[in-house]
Amino acid sequence: MKRTASERDGGGRRETGLSAYVGSAISIITNDGRHILGTLKGFDQVQNLVIEGSRERVYSPDEGVETLELGLYLMRGDCIAVVGELDEEADAEIDLPSLKAHPIGDVLH
Amino acid sequence: MAAVEQQNQAAEEDVAVKEPLDLIRLSLDETVYIKLKGDREIQGRLHAYDQHLNMILGEVEETVNYYEIDDETYEETLKSEKRSKPFLFVRGDVVILISPSLRQ
Amino acid sequence: MLFYSFFKTLTGKEVTVELKNDLAITGILHSVDQYLNIKLNEIKVVDEAKHPHLLAVKNCFIRGSVVRYIQLPQDAVDTDLLHDATRREARNAA
Repeated sequence: MKRTASERDGGGRRETGLSAYVGSAISIITNDGRHILGTLKGFDQVQNLVIEGSRERVYSPDEGVETLELGLYLMRGDCIAVVGELDEEADAEIDLPSLKAHPIGDVLH
Repeated sequence: MAAVEQQNQAAEEDVAVKEPLDLIRLSLDETVYIKLKGDREIQGRLHAYDQHLNMILGEVEETVNYYEIDDETYEETLKSEKRSKPFLFVRGDVVILISPSLRQ
Repeated sequence: MLFYSFFKTLTGKEVTVELKNDLAITGILHSVDQYLNIKLNEIKVVDEAKHPHLLAVKNCFIRGSVVRYIQLPQDAVDTDLLHDATRREARNAA
């Protein structure tokens, strides 16, 4: 996936894809409501993603957030709802063990 | 005579409903009722649509129906929630049906 | 093409995107593509206490296919322009 700098900024137009997030920490919401974090290594036209050092955060209304280490993942674009750029400093300040929340529901097509 | 006929034909073409989307074209700037997936209904003024049934509606009132389960008795009660929005884009793939002009 | 063009005129404006999983995200529209995938800046989840998943996220990409609604700013919608564009699109499709 070689890209020139001008392609990267869309040749003056606004970059609409995920290229701005490559190499960055990202936060993903999947269509089945899972929350996965990691480093975006690559992507394609249909938002298939390669994520390095991925981990899942499991939320529940009664207990704090549990983190599961997953490793290197390829995620299928069809299953992805939201990809956010993670501010790692802000993320480090979140007190996960005491964070209680309702899980996000499924995407119903 | 032939010219008049042709004119009539052209005028008829504007209002004729030959395919489903023609019905929606005639509802532009009119109030429509729309049923959506996930037990949702909306009423609003139709300002734009395309072949996927993506739409922009104005003066929108949305109704969401859902069941609330009581924590103790586990009894289900049907609840209904209404929301108003000045302008709303609706993605076509959640649309079940569109019914034109509920003139009141 | 109609809605792609329309949303391009909305860049820089605040919108609320409601997803098919009932998550609602408010933000400044950064960009949109032909599939109506959307990028937002300065995002805030509407019910952040209930869904704190994106607390440390400032900008995001939303897949067009998971969008249910987009709430539009009142001052950014020219209804006459939309009517004309819709009639033009309907003629071209026929």
